[in-house]
Parts: sequence; structure tokens; C-alpha cells
Amino acid sequence: MDYSLLIPEVVLFVWALVLLLYNASAKTENPRAIGLFALIGLVAAFVILWFVPDGSLFGKTFISDTYARGFKMIFLLAAIVTVIGSVDFASKHMKHTGEFYSLIMLCVTGMMFLASAGELISLYVALELSTISLYILAAFLKKDLKSTEAGLKYLILGAASSGILLYGLSLLYGLTGSTVLDEIGYRLFLNEGTTIAAVFAIVMFVAGFGFKLAAAPFHMWAPDVYEGAPTPVTAFLSVASKAAGLVAFVRLFFNSLLAIKPEWVVIVEIVAILAMVVGNVVALLQKNIKRMLAYSSIAQVGYVLVALSAGIDLSVTSMMIFLLAYLFANIGAFIVVIAFSNATGSDNIEDYSGLWKRKPSLAIVMTIYMLSLVGIPLTGGFIAKYFLFGAAVKEGLYTLVVIAILTSVISLFYYMNVVRIMMFRPAPSADKIALPWMIKLGLAISVIMVLLIGIWPGPFYAWGQLASTIFHF
Amino acid sequence: MAPLANYLVLAAILFALGVWGVLRNRNALIIFMCIELMLNAVNLTFMGFSAYLNDYSGQVFVFLIMAVAAAEVAVGLAIIVSIFRHKENVNVDEINVMKW
Amino acid sequence: MDYGYGLIGIFILFGIVFVIFTIFFAGLLRPQRPNKTKLENYECGEAPMGGAWIQYNVGFYIYALIFVIFDVEVVFLFPWAVAFKQLGLFALIEMLIFIAILIAGLAYAWKKGALTWES
Repeated sequence: MDYSLLIPEVVLFVWALVLLLYNASAKTENPRAIGLFALIGLVAAFVILWFVPDGSLFGKTFISDTYARGFKMIFLLAAIVTVIGSVDFASKHMKHTGEFYSLIMLCVTGMMFLASAGELISLYVALELSTISLYILAAFLKKDLKSTEAGLKYLILGAASSGILLYGLSLLYGLTGSTVLDEIGYRLFLNEGTTIAAVFAIVMFVAGFGFKLAAAPFHMWAPDVYEGAPTPVTAFLSVASKAAGLVAFVRLFFNSLLAIKPEWVVIVEIVAILAMVVGNVVALLQKNIKRMLAYSSIAQVGYVLVALSAGIDLSVTSMMIFLLAYLFANIGAFIVVIAFSNATGSDNIEDYSGLWKRKPSLAIVMTIYMLSLVGIPLTGGFIAKYFLFGAAVKEGLYTLVVIAILTSVISLFYYMNVVRIMMFRPAPSADKIALPWMIKLGLAISVIMVLLIGIWPGPFYAWGQLASTIFHF
Repeated sequence: MAPLANYLVLAAILFALGVWGVLRNRNALIIFMCIELMLNAVNLTFMGFSAYLNDYSGQVFVFLIMAVAAAEVAVGLAIIVSIFRHKENVNVDEINVMKW
Repeated sequence: MDYGYGLIGIFILFGIVFVIFTIFFAGLLRPQRPNKTKLENYECGEAPMGGAWIQYNVGFYIYALIFVIFDVEVVFLFPWAVAFKQLGLFALIEMLIFIAILIAGLAYAWKKGALTWES
């Protein structure tokens, strides 16, 4: 038993507890110092993660492999960039910043355990640790009705969907008599022919995970929660909760349920088409930038599901690259939203008019993020979409790819609408917008990474491919 | 022991009642109770399978579901209390500041 | 279909019939002279004050919440205690870590003043 595999999670967890207890006993609260302390913990866990070897603990309950570590990097990076971008927001609008940062860290701890879960029980508990932290984070501004409402909606739908997911897990357990994912896969492989119970379980999984991923038709909560939750939480939620849903979904479906792939592939395809169409079309109508990004995230998850329904190793590789590119582009865009609403107090797309005059650098970085979300060459988004659709083409899923490309064209309208308003509309006031240095740092990291993935994708492809080697297709 | 099917059918009925309650009710507290009913139906399924298969991991799962459900209730009630402070009721139809 | 449940069924049936019968029969026999004091809610013999639908102090809620969380965690202690001898030192350390985390939670609640009564 090599307990050193657990060090990053333990460091993060202890760090969160220390922060929580220290903050509770301190007389006064210094939001900036607390934010920096949290940041150090997250970076420390990220550095330690590089030195963690392969292995498994407690009879495959905890697996450390290239796939798990790749996803842990994504979670930690999402948290790091979010915390960098939220220090100013937190010190301006929030009470209880200690709890805020320790909840983010606990949430990441849960997601990291989820990435490593090789067994249904630990998978469920880790998933709940991360989502319960997110419920609290969504409702964090308790004086603000919108935030509380977002928390309630997220909680009710989230808890109901975990119940549905659990029912599927219980059927799978009854069907195979094991809770270990490898063992389940092996026994399903031996059982020639599938039963109706397996199909039931799959439907429940798709509904449960579809909710966590905010894929249509399980997306109803996403726009409200994205709009109502505090913007840093939305930034984190939009990337990390999707990645968390995907890490468990892929491990369960590609590791355990690969033997009955014909049963689930159709359902995943239907969800992918619905997510792409609903997300992209409804996003056109949005006036609030957070809601627009919510619908865009629904569409983006549809593109991932296109690749996943191919069910080959390139699916996993492309998903990893996509998540990395999406992480920086999306959180970057949300940091712009934070900076803008800190200065003007508005989230309306119309109010972004003339941003080019008021703060050229902010308008330029926002344009780069939007281009990456569309998937224009030289940005990370292009590389991601290229590989995602490449995986689907390789398996001959031409209908899906055609729909994906057509809906991508629709997405061009609403992403470019933001750019058009920022660049070509007259500014309502000549006030310059000041950027605090932490926000500048967050924006700079995101832009550099988005462009780096777009211009030099080699190392990221290799990283994604390494993660896909653990599955046996 | 009664045959496995009895447990599974009872659990399926409880689960369906829970889902129906979640969809049908307008009071956030009752919706919450219905979610608990769903979780307990799952617990019953796990216990039935665990006894049938003579395998203890199902029972361990039930313990953990209970603990997680308690945590969920704690958070849920806190959020419901803070909604109540804003609006003086917990009717989900009136929770509609945001709409598409 | 005999699982030994038949006897329980008879008991349940008997219980239902007995309660219905006694309430119905007592209603026939007893004199009926209602007055205002008699129809009031019973509050341990005291004269009742105000309605039952009052707002409770939120302090009760916090206590209940803390109770629920720490109460459920005990569910993990029982199986461990039963199998303590077979599990040995490793499980003891694991359980100590578990309890330490719970104590950290309690310390947090204490520091935040959740355990002091404010009226």
C-alpha cells in the first residue's frame, strides 16, 4: 500500500480545514491574504501531483493513473485561475471569504477523488462531496435573492438527479454483484446479451450524468444557476462541474459498460444532438452575458458527447484537449465579466458597447476567448474541435459531425455579437475601466494558454493521448 | 427471506412515488422529502441485492448514502431557510426572479 | 406464500378493528356535553396561549442541524466497533482520522458561536 498516492488530496483537504478553522477563530478577516493562502494550497497540490506515481489503493477504490492525474490537473487549474480572478470580487462583495475559498478547495478535493474513483461507492461519495460544496457556493451571497434562488434550484434538481443516478448504480450492482468498476466491466463482458435491467441502468446514468454535464434535455437548471450564482462560482462551476461529470461518465462508460456499447451509444448521440441544437439556438436570444455563456456551455458539452459516442481512444484524447482549452477560454471570459461588472455593475451584453474605447486590452482578450469558443484556427478551441470531430469522423458518425458543424456556424453569431458590440458600438460613457493586478494575471494566464494550445498543440496532444491509454478499446 | 423480486418491486414503487412527488409538489420542503424517499428506495434496492448476492458492499453503500443524505438535508434546509427569509414562503412556483 | 407474515397480518387486522370498535362504541356510550374549555387544545393542563403556528427561534434549527450531522456519522462507528478485533490497528488509525475530522467540524461550529444560545 503506497499511501503517497493520496498526498495531493490530503494536502488540499488539510489546507481547507486549516483555512476554515483559522478563519473562524480570527477576529478580523483579510480577504486578500485568505485568497493568497488558498492559492498557495492549490498550487502546492498541483506541484505535488506531478510527482505522484501510478498505482491503486484499498482494492482499486482509489486509482492513480494517467487519466486520473490528467483530470486532477484540469480541476486544480480551474480552481487556480478562478481564485486568481476572484480575489477582488470576494474582497468587494463577499462576507465569509474563508468559507468561500475552503469550499472551493473541498470541492476540488471531491473532484480529485472522483477522478481516482475506481469503485461505485467512492465514485458516489466523491461526486456528492463536490456537488454539495457547489450548492453552498451557488447560494453563497445569502443577502442576494438571485443567488439564494440559484442555490435552491441547483440543490433540488441536483439532489433529484443524484437519486436517479444512484438508482442506476444500484441496478448495476444487482446485475453484476460487484461495485468495482473493472470487475463490473469483466462480468458484463462475460454475460452474453444484455438484460432490460442494464438498459434501465444506462438510461438512469445518462439522465444523472446529463444533469451534471448540463446537457439538453437535462439543462434546465444551468442558465438560472449560472446567472444567479456569484460570478467566480459560475466560472468555476461552468468548467469544473462539467469536467467532474465527464471524468466519472467516461470512466464508468468506457471502463465498465464498454461491453454493452451498442445499448448506450444511441442515447448518448441523441443527447449530443439535443445539447448542440438547444444550446446554440437559445444562446442567440440571450441578453445577459452569464446566461449566454450558460447556453454556450450546454452546446460545448454536446460537441464532447459527439466525440464520446465514437467510443475510441481519440475520443478520450480529444476530450482532454477540449477541456483544457475550454477551461482557459471560459474562465477567462468569466474573469472579463467579473472585471466588467466590478467596474459598471452590469452583466448585460448591451452594456459592453464601446469597451474597446474604455479598456482596449479587456476587449482584445475577450475577443480571443470568444474566438476560441467558436473554434477559429490559432486558438485552443480550434484544436479541440478538430480532434473532437476527428474522433467522430474516424468512426463514420457523419450525421453527428454535420450537425455539429452547422450548429457551430450558428454559435458564430452570438459569440461574434459580443465582439461586434465591444468593438463597433459607441461607448455610453468615457470612463476608463481599471483592472486590479490579480485580474490582469488571471486574464494573462488564460490568454497565453488559449493561444499556446492553438499554436503548439503537440505537448497537449501527447498529454491527452497518455490519459487515453488506460482504456482498452 | 422473501424473494428478491418483492424488495425490488417495493423499491421501484417507492422510487416512482418519490419522482412523482418531486415533479408534482410545489412546496420546496415536500420536494425535499420526496428526494429522501427516492434515496431510501435506492437503499432498499441495495439491501435487497446485498442480501440476495450475499455481498456486503451493498450494505456499505447504504451507510454512505445515509450519511451523504444527511449532509444534503443540512445544506438544503439552510438554503430553504434563507429563501424563506427573502420571500416568506417556499413555493417553487414563486421562485422565479430569473427566466429565459 | 407462508413467510411467517400471516400472523403479523392477523395482528395488524386485529389492531385496526379493535381501535375502530372501541372508539365507535365509546362514542355511543359516553355523555356528550361539550363546553369551551373542554374543546381547547391540551397543553399539559395549562391554559393555552396563542396559536401553535408560531415562529421558532432559529437557534433550535442550528442545534437540530448539528445534531443530524453528528448523529448520522455514528453509523460508521458501529460496524467498526463490532469488527474491531479483526480489523486491528489500521482501522483504529482510520477511525481516529475520521473522528478528528468530525472534531474539526465541531470546533468550527463552536468558534462560529453555533453552540451558544442567543435569545
